[in-house]
Order: sequence, then structure tokens, then C-alpha cells
Amino acid sequence: MRPEAQALKGHLDVLLLATLAEGPQHGYAIKEALREGSGGRFDLPTGTVYPALHRLERAGLIAGAWSVVDGRRRRSYRITDTGERRLAGERANWREFAQAVTGILERNPWPATS
Amino acid sequence: MAGHQLIDDYLAELARRLPADDVDELADGLEETFRHHQRRGLSAACAAAAATAEFGHPDLIVKEFIRQAPGRRAALALLASGPMFAALWGSSLISAQVWTWSIPLGAAVAFGAGLLAVVATLVAAAVTRSYQRTRLTGPACGLLAVLDGAMLAAIALAASALSWPMALAIPASIIRIGLAVRTVPRVLAR
Repeated sequence: MRPEAQALKGHLDVLLLATLAEGPQHGYAIKEALREGSGGRFDLPTGTVYPALHRLERAGLIAGAWSVVDGRRRRSYRITDTGERRLAGERANWREFAQAVTGILERNPWPATS
Repeated sequence: MAGHQLIDDYLAELARRLPADDVDELADGLEETFRHHQRRGLSAACAAAAATAEFGHPDLIVKEFIRQAPGRRAALALLASGPMFAALWGSSLISAQVWTWSIPLGAAVAFGAGLLAVVATLVAAAVTRSYQRTRLTGPACGLLAVLDGAMLAAIALAASALSWPMALAIPASIIRIGLAVRTVPRVLAR
């Protein structure tokens, strides 16, 4: 797993919610949206995204439903009202955090490396 | 699958280790990945190899499913709260002078054996490398609810007065019975 993908794990829930806020999607499409949205940096093994989706579903943050596509069973997910509220809260927290870190990191010029 | 032998073997490996619904969902995603690589111009063999590599090794996937399994997470929560319940009920029984109660020896031994069985089963469900074994938390929760109920009945029948530790232990056990009963179907469903 890439280092970026490892770092992603701590933020995976909110990124999955943000992806589903754009509309219902199935597991592979969600993983692809994560990869494309991050410019290829967040490229998790696809199979590990499904357990995270199931955990969010059990928590009531997303809801899954089965359908049949091309003769195959497909499970698609949509964000719930509870998930929307959680996402809004996490977005606000992230903006505050990023603003604070940026304020410190960009206060002074970066030191020159030899 | 309209795919490739490599994909069929990959899914067969997952099917041996994960619930059928989860394998169906993985199979759909794997088929999408396979077709995506074929659309990029890869041969069936190369597309199958790329798709399975992109999905991750079956061991990694199964490990992640186990890590997120409701049975494992419930087992960890029950084990983590165990010392608190032991302290509450231990001090409750001491304050009620349990040694003066006339409890049949067989009942006491059965209670102790049941408690040990619950703890051993929860530990097994928490550390297992088998998804199926995480479901052991279901019957363990059922037995734990029975043991909590037995403890409450014993207190109601044998304790002469309510003590402060009991005032905490009794509602805690009632809450745990409710949570345990609710957990059983959730654990066994997946």
C-alpha cells in the first residue's frame, strides 16, 4: 500500500461520505471516485473499501440496497440524513484544522535545505 | 463470472472465507475492474491479473472484513467493559455478604463455568483469523444476558438491602442485557 493510502485510512470515513454526497454509487465506483478525486494519491486496495462501507452502513451514516445489473447482484450506497450531518461537521472541523496548520506552516519562509 | 479462471479462483478463495452477500458484492466490483482493464486494451489474462492485483490479496481483504466484523467489534467492547462489571458486581456481592447466602453449590458452579465460557468465547471471537468465528459473539451475548439476568434474580431474592455498588451494578447489567440481546441478530446476520 502506498504511504498516501496508509495516511488515508484515518480519514477514510469522511472521504467515503463526501464521495456519496455526490450521489448513490456502488463500491468500485466509490473507490474510483476516491482515486480520481485525489489525483491517484489515494489508491486503496479495492477489496478493503467494502468493509469500511459496511461499517458506515451499520452506523446509519449510509444505506445500501441490492439491484441486479448485467445479471450480477450489485449493492449501491447512498448517504443518509445522519451521514449528511456527520459530513457537515467533519468538513467544518477539517477547515478549522487546515486553517490552523496553514497559518503556522506559512508564517515564515521554509528553511533552506543544504 | 464472464471473466477469467484467475478471477474465478480468486472469488472461490473469498467464498470459502466470507459471507455469500459480501462475496457477491466483491464479485460485482471485481467484474467492473476486469472490464475496465479490458476497455483499456489489456488481454483477458492481463486484465484479470490487473483486476485481482488492484483488489488486493484475499488475505488482506479477509483481514479487513474481520477487523470490521460486528462480532469482533462487539466482542472487544464486551471484553473492555468486563473489568468494570467485575468490579461493580464484586463489590456488590461483598457488600451483600454473599458468603451468607444459601445458594446451591451446583448453581454457583454453573454460573462460574458460564462466565468462563463467555469470556473464552469473546476472546476467541476477538482474536480469530476466521470471519465465521467472529459470529461466536452471538451465542456469547445470549449466554451473557442469561448470566446477567441470573445475577439480578439472585440479588432480588437473596440480598437483604440495596447497597451503592448494587445501585450501579443493577442498571449497568440491565443496559448490558439490552445491548447483548440487540447484538445477537446483528452479529449472526453478517
